[in-house]
Amino acid sequence: MNVVYEVTTLVVIVLGLAIVFGFLGVMNLAHGEFIAIGAYTAYACQARGWPYLTAIPAACLVCGALALLVERVLIRPLYQRPFDTMLATWGLSLLLRKTVELVYGGGYKSLVVPLSGSVSVLGAPFPAYRVLLIVLSLAGTSVLVVWYRRSPTGARIKAMVGNPELAQAVGLRTGRLARNTFVVGTCLAGLAGVMVAPLTPVQPYMGLDYILKAFFVLVVGGLGSAVGLVSGAGLIGGVESAMSAIVDRTWGYSTVLLIAIVFLWLRPRGIFARV
Amino acid sequence: MGSSLASSAALLAALLVLPQVLGEFWAFQLALYFLYAVAALGIGICWGRAGFLPLGQGLFFGLSAYLSGFALLRFADSWWLLLLLPLAALASGLLAYAIGLLVFRGRTESGPYFALITLALSLFAFQVANTWNGMTGGYNGLKGIPGLPALDSFAATYYVAAVALAAAVGAVWWLVESPLGVLWRALAQNERRVGFFGHDTAQLKAIAFGASGILAGVAGALYAPQQGLVTPEVCGFVLSADLVIWTAVGGRGRILGPVVGAVAIGVLTAELRGRIGWWEIVVATIFIGVVLALPGGLMGLLPVRRQRSRGARAPVLLPAPPRQLAGGPVTLAIEDVSSIAGEVRILDGLSLAIQRPGIYCLIGPNGAGKTSTFNMLTGELPAQRGTVTLDGARVGVRTPHGMARRGVGRKFQIASVFPDLTLDDNLRIALWSGRASLRDLLRPALRRWDSALLAALRQRFTFLADGLRAAAALSHGERQVLELAMALIGEPRLLLLDEPSGGLSSEETQRVIQVIRWARQTLGLCVVIIEHDMAMVKELADHVFVLHQGRLLAEGDVQTVRADRRVHDIYVGASS
Repeated sequence: MNVVYEVTTLVVIVLGLAIVFGFLGVMNLAHGEFIAIGAYTAYACQARGWPYLTAIPAACLVCGALALLVERVLIRPLYQRPFDTMLATWGLSLLLRKTVELVYGGGYKSLVVPLSGSVSVLGAPFPAYRVLLIVLSLAGTSVLVVWYRRSPTGARIKAMVGNPELAQAVGLRTGRLARNTFVVGTCLAGLAGVMVAPLTPVQPYMGLDYILKAFFVLVVGGLGSAVGLVSGAGLIGGVESAMSAIVDRTWGYSTVLLIAIVFLWLRPRGIFARV
Repeated sequence: MGSSLASSAALLAALLVLPQVLGEFWAFQLALYFLYAVAALGIGICWGRAGFLPLGQGLFFGLSAYLSGFALLRFADSWWLLLLLPLAALASGLLAYAIGLLVFRGRTESGPYFALITLALSLFAFQVANTWNGMTGGYNGLKGIPGLPALDSFAATYYVAAVALAAAVGAVWWLVESPLGVLWRALAQNERRVGFFGHDTAQLKAIAFGASGILAGVAGALYAPQQGLVTPEVCGFVLSADLVIWTAVGGRGRILGPVVGAVAIGVLTAELRGRIGWWEIVVATIFIGVVLALPGGLMGLLPVRRQRSRGARAPVLLPAPPRQLAGGPVTLAIEDVSSIAGEVRILDGLSLAIQRPGIYCLIGPNGAGKTSTFNMLTGELPAQRGTVTLDGARVGVRTPHGMARRGVGRKFQIASVFPDLTLDDNLRIALWSGRASLRDLLRPALRRWDSALLAALRQRFTFLADGLRAAAALSHGERQVLELAMALIGEPRLLLLDEPSGGLSSEETQRVIQVIRWARQTLGLCVVIIEHDMAMVKELADHVFVLHQGRLLAEGDVQTVRADRRVHDIYVGASS
């Protein structure tokens, strides 16, 4: 059950990154910091005594506003320059991290788990909040995937990704579409932050761990398919929690790194790519 | 080369005077930034020249720092310790070279995947250094590393770092100005094309990466005695990323860019750190600003110095050695070759044979497999079945550079030259093809090579004589001619030309026809031309092959083929 939990949260964390990288070709190295910002928003809401649910719109608002600004200033001038995008977002991640540190200090913050108590899953007790997260993640991801497959906007995004010039020529406002895609991807990062905040120590550097793991999931799963994403998250999350349980966390992390290196080297397009 | 030596000597002199002026605190700080600058110079080579981004240089810096730390702790006072430090740097270089060769072999892309591999490797190195307590001291690192023997003061370590930096700048200058540096810049622009000139691009990129590993290794080996402490952080992600940031801020395209970036940000950090708590935010903002507004970095603000003023002193040309290729007339036999991609049969049992030198034209409707035949011959397109025999020997595994070394030259349909290089450098890349060994590529004299054929081509096409012009400044027609000239001066035995007259005026076409004929006679080579212009086919062809749906439909001289009923049918479309 712990593995299931690891994998599903990983899916949500990667989802935003996959949207931005897969559709826009933008490697957003600051994605982890948006997760951290989401988590800090949740912390701020709870510290003020607001109900935990208010953190959801608040995180969307904060991350959305930031994403709009970032897209306008950083991302848009650098489309088609992948190296420079990587560098600029790396600079951005530094900037956000240090700003968060300046505002909230470098120490750990911990949140109260909003849903205490446990439910019995297959006879074993399991924290209710985690069960709720698993259900929400699965539901949210499936809704998004179905929406992408069925809705006109999904089709427009596909057109934009497949052939941006032609999409423009038939009257799609690709600039606006790309901006919205970026904002949605970033909001998902914020939501992921809200979700995991009560269960992990919230600190300015938390984004780094997530971003690296998320990239490895993308590498293993390949881009552009929900199946790849889930199986990538399954492999990385599963291996990490298994190795961590059997040996220790360092081994878990190192094994994940080795898997990622092998994939990057031999199968850069992921598990399901035709060679 | 004299100018580079003079510049580094001047730089060294300036560096040696500095600590007298600035005092001990800055001498210690600057020594550290100089070492970082040495490591950043390596990123300048890979990213600014060869066009791929190494994101995990901490691995090589850290490996060498630990090795040097072990050596210093164990053999503190022995003189031969000084031999171990270069070995530590060399170990880093070899590791980088091996990784480069493994990853680049068989993949001609410089995208983000390589960067991510190096990043993951450095993360892995951090984990190893952090947990292997018995060897590396774990999280606390190696402590109490003594300084270099007889150099145990801040000022002395400063001088060591300054000398290392000056030597590194000199070495990088040499590399960048050597033929190897020209090839690096060429493959950053069009790696595939460099391969078709017979250069092993994976090897060249691995050498660049190896050189960057040595530079990171030198920096790491000196870092251990300078700091007296080596912690896992030197392997990790943060130092690796910082090195890239410094390189980007300074300017990756200039030799001194990484040095300027490392020292400038280092000094800025040291100034700000004590005063304001949010100094890192300032640095990050500057960094983002540079990426957005100054893609060339701080050094991009300075104008490029002109290499040599035109006509001031014409360089003395050296004759290039002759190519070592099999004598006698070239023969080629393609037998029953099929190539299938997905559902599409690109080549379908293609067989054709060339017995003697001459001009052969390959014609056929769109999709007949003409360009695919060239791709298959030069190793771009894998074939599932069939054999290719060149000069009587069966060619098994075909790679672009391997085929070029066997004497197969190629000109593409869309003129592909190296726009950011000068005409001279473009032509020399072709001239080195098959003539220069890897060791030769370090000799600057190769940039003055000349051959009788090149001289003759300059006579025919006068624009080629203006060698300092950038190829990007050429007109479309001139580019086509330049690429044809490049394909010719490699002196191939079998020359594949894909629509050499595409987009040329009729006058230019005439001159191209004359050159092809002249080259065929003087070099005795065999030319295969893909051509749609039937007038040109009629004028040039000794023999015509007609391709249709991936196989040979008809062959013979122009009259025979014209009279052939089946050829008429496929062109008119009445193939029922």
